[in-house]
Amino acid sequence: MLVVWLLAVALAGSLITLFMPQQSAKVAAGIIGAIIIGVYVALLMHPGQGVNVRWIPAWGIRFHLGSDGLSLFLLGLTVVMTEIAILASKAEWGRTYYFWILFLEFGSLGLFSALDLFLFYIFWEVVLIPIFFLLTSWSGPKGRRAAMKWLIMNLFGSLFMLIGIVAVAVIHTQPAGPLTFEISQLVNIHMDARVTPWVFAAFFLAFAIKAPLWPFHGWMPDAYGEAPAPVTGLLAGVMSKAGIYGFLRIMLPLFFPEFVQYQTGLLILAVIGLVYGAFMALRQTDMKMVTAYASLSHLGMIALGIFSLTRVGILGATFQMVAHGLMVGGLFIILGLLEQRTGSRDIAAMHGLNASAPRMAAYFLFFALATLGLPGLPGFVGEYLIIQGLVAHEVVFAVIAVIVLVMAAWYMLRVFQGIMQGPDKGQKILDLKAGQVWWIVPLAGLVLLLGVWPNGITAHAVPSLYHAVHLLAAKGGGV
Amino acid sequence: MQLLVEILLLPIIGAVTITTFKGLMPKKLPGIWASVLVGISFLLSIMADVHLGQLAVSHRMVTGTLWTWISGFGPSIGFRLYLDPLAGIWLLVITGVGMLIHIYSIGYMHDDPGEARYFSYLNFFIFAMLLLVLAGNLIVLLIGWALVGLASYFLIGFWYQRPSAVRAAKKAFVMNTVGDVGILLGLALLYVHYHSVGYGHLFTIFSHAAPGSAFFEWTAFLLYVGAMAKSAQFPLHMWLADAMEGPTPVSALIHAATMVTAGVYLMARLYPLLRLAPDVHYLVGAIGAFTAIFAASIAIFQQDIKKVLAYSTLSQLGYMFLAIGVGGFMAGVFHFMTHAFFKALLFLAAGSVIHALQGEQDLSHMGGLVKKMPWTTFAFLAGTLAISGIPPFSGYFSKEAILGQAYNSGHWLLWAVGVLTAGLTAFYMFRLFFLTFFGAPRDAHLHEHAHEAPWVMTVPVVILGVLATIGGFFKGWLGNWLAPTFSAYPGASHAAFESGPLFGTVITVGLAIIAIILAYWLFLRKHLAPRAGIARGFGRHAYQAWDMDAAWTWIAVNPFKTIGDWVRPVEQGMLSFINGVASAVWLWATDLRPLQTGYVRRYALSIMVGLGALLAYYLIRV
Repeated sequence: MLVVWLLAVALAGSLITLFMPQQSAKVAAGIIGAIIIGVYVALLMHPGQGVNVRWIPAWGIRFHLGSDGLSLFLLGLTVVMTEIAILASKAEWGRTYYFWILFLEFGSLGLFSALDLFLFYIFWEVVLIPIFFLLTSWSGPKGRRAAMKWLIMNLFGSLFMLIGIVAVAVIHTQPAGPLTFEISQLVNIHMDARVTPWVFAAFFLAFAIKAPLWPFHGWMPDAYGEAPAPVTGLLAGVMSKAGIYGFLRIMLPLFFPEFVQYQTGLLILAVIGLVYGAFMALRQTDMKMVTAYASLSHLGMIALGIFSLTRVGILGATFQMVAHGLMVGGLFIILGLLEQRTGSRDIAAMHGLNASAPRMAAYFLFFALATLGLPGLPGFVGEYLIIQGLVAHEVVFAVIAVIVLVMAAWYMLRVFQGIMQGPDKGQKILDLKAGQVWWIVPLAGLVLLLGVWPNGITAHAVPSLYHAVHLLAAKGGGV
Repeated sequence: MQLLVEILLLPIIGAVTITTFKGLMPKKLPGIWASVLVGISFLLSIMADVHLGQLAVSHRMVTGTLWTWISGFGPSIGFRLYLDPLAGIWLLVITGVGMLIHIYSIGYMHDDPGEARYFSYLNFFIFAMLLLVLAGNLIVLLIGWALVGLASYFLIGFWYQRPSAVRAAKKAFVMNTVGDVGILLGLALLYVHYHSVGYGHLFTIFSHAAPGSAFFEWTAFLLYVGAMAKSAQFPLHMWLADAMEGPTPVSALIHAATMVTAGVYLMARLYPLLRLAPDVHYLVGAIGAFTAIFAASIAIFQQDIKKVLAYSTLSQLGYMFLAIGVGGFMAGVFHFMTHAFFKALLFLAAGSVIHALQGEQDLSHMGGLVKKMPWTTFAFLAGTLAISGIPPFSGYFSKEAILGQAYNSGHWLLWAVGVLTAGLTAFYMFRLFFLTFFGAPRDAHLHEHAHEAPWVMTVPVVILGVLATIGGFFKGWLGNWLAPTFSAYPGASHAAFESGPLFGTVITVGLAIIAIILAYWLFLRKHLAPRAGIARGFGRHAYQAWDMDAAWTWIAVNPFKTIGDWVRPVEQGMLSFINGVASAVWLWATDLRPLQTGYVRRYALSIMVGLGALLAYYLIRV
């Protein structure tokens, strides 16, 4: 039941902000975000059954929401990152902005807790809208174009997914199954070998665009670059996980034999993204673009973990989704503050800012180190598990992955040092204010905790993760 | 166990408190506070070792799991600590030498505006290094391994406004990441096969395995890559010379006495694995010997007092790996210990010189300092004699142990390289000693203002001078102390000290004495300038460190940049395609705009209202 409350509070909260005076919308949104975190903590303590009732009986569609080990921490990521995005936003952006942020939270929470495929699809579409409006109205000069690309590419993908969903449901009725969209029941489907590749491709396209995975990232550079920093934080931190989550929640249980069949091709696709993103990040001069392509590279790494089709690799991907969300989200928000204060995103235009903003430099470095996979911080945990999953049978991919880890150290330090260190040329900026330290310290603390004690997530995620991909054990996916 | 946790916690508490409260602390407090914490850690380390010594020889270890680090895909991996005699030696050196260098730093850094930041980094380093040696499995080791790299990154780039320091820090970090991922792959391979990364479990398996399989060779090699990067073995060595950009006490602590010997620790720790991988085991020794002579050839021509010492560190690390390679594990550990004494001493004494000369490091501005700085000169001489292997100074004993073992085990080539390097070492060290402290002052102005360092700097130097002199006499004790570690599993049959042939000793010491006389004759009689010989030929290339930097840039850095430049147009093409599609849709949509925007809003609204009503309905109903 608490899952439903989570969604209800988010939806009601978003509507409440819409009726707030412009100046106090941020405060209201912050309070609502905190209440949602409170509900989430309650959910964490009593992970209940959720709700499962008939919705559109004629089509067998059910209103089925729930949380398990796979989604529980992604719900947590959503509520934490949304609250931080709210706190990092400017009050003068007004009530509509905060309405869309909370509405995005509502959509994301629904996306991560829907257990009926049709309901999942609805939330999948719901999240497109707030991002579209956040991109058009609160973004940089190219915001409209970015929004357009976001909408077109994602609608394109989800159109295919809709076809896939209908196909799966219809095939499931034959020869004698009931019409249903329950994911847990659709798993038992028997598909014709001529149809399966097309259905697989339909889902894959939608998820790969949303993440994005290479080569479906065409919308990403403009959207990440133009969106206000907190929105970029949400896009890279939370929304990118929706695509990956789709692989784990829907595709792996439905199409496990196809994954085995296409494994090499999928691994190659993922590794290209991993390497391609790293090379792009290495040569960017725009600090936000370095992080954007780094994020593309990380998503390639997460995809490698899933496509390794081993328990440990998939566990690594699951862990990395949460870790990456917190780390990259934090990094983008700090870059946004930096952009506000220097008026630039060009690495070459900034020098030695550590002298005037040591706190900002310290947190920047912390999140950069976490993203580059420093052992002791959570990026390393996910990467370790993913590589552990690859060494057994796909050692070539493991070797490429670790080479990219060295590149990550190179490109992240290049940005950090370019901006924060070097001769002091008289450029002065304002350091983090006390109010900003207030939200950044808990975020950093959370990141540190995950690095030192990853078992807090892995031990809980495992049972339902293996339930979700229960076929793995049957098909002999070992360590 | 509790003692181990306390030893670890004290320095990290120091780092956190200094970082948090540095604004509130009086100017001198961070240095004193940091030193006191490391001092307590040192006392607790002695207690831990005493406790260890009281345990039965067959069970001489303290181990325990603090919490489960990760689980869910196989046997869980714990955050595990482990103290045995091998770790115990490192513990004493890290906290003991670390404490002396902390105290020295109070004097050395007293007028630097970043003093508090410096001490928090230094304490953080001690924590990370202790974590590395107290780790009970390879995961915890790797965490410590990477954190010492981070501490080193912080301290190399301590003066972050100097472009050269920033570059050096990045280079050190990236090169060390190469080592980190080597260990990562190695431990992942071990986990796949044995479902564990814990020392005890793995070593028990190793002791029943037959040597020589490709799996063991690869695993050992990957872990060796880690050791190679951290201990600056050829070809991953350049970062260490550049690391001299950091403050000099940092060079003494991290880049000479402790962190760079982590590779030696790892190799000694993994001796049961090296038995199974004879090819890699030999490679360790061969690269060690090559690094030793290679670095010595560079050191002869360096102009910067710290660069000479940096290359001599490289060379001495080569000796330690040579010892590991010929199976003389104890000899390697022994040389680590004496080297920690004499090299920390040399760096601190050099720091006093640099301090006295207002930051000047170039040999061509030194000379004749013996009258101004008698204590420092005397201490530096002790260190120089020790590193040159002159009896009865400490370096003589440990170097003899290594060379004797190399000879006895039949590695004559490695032995010959070691002997020759000993001669070169004596030459370049006495060149440095004479050029710094004797002869006519080459910079009258600097010499005028030079003065002996304050007592807070001199006392640690003198203590280290005593240790560097008498450290060799710990040999018997060390042999007994380490015996349980190297007898626990098969694989270290020649670990115990062996003495080599007498003629070997005579040749080695004889070469060193000839080298000293040669240095005396060239630099004090013939008054050769420091820059002599670097204009062309051998000297020029050796002075440029055999152009390894350029080679790396050419082999590794530039190709990556070039590929990056190739990827960009590809990306541009992909993006412009998407942009084209978007513009086309936008144009088309303009015609339908009223309908279209209205549609999106209505779409949103209807979904919201529908879902809202539904949620409300079920919440009320339940």
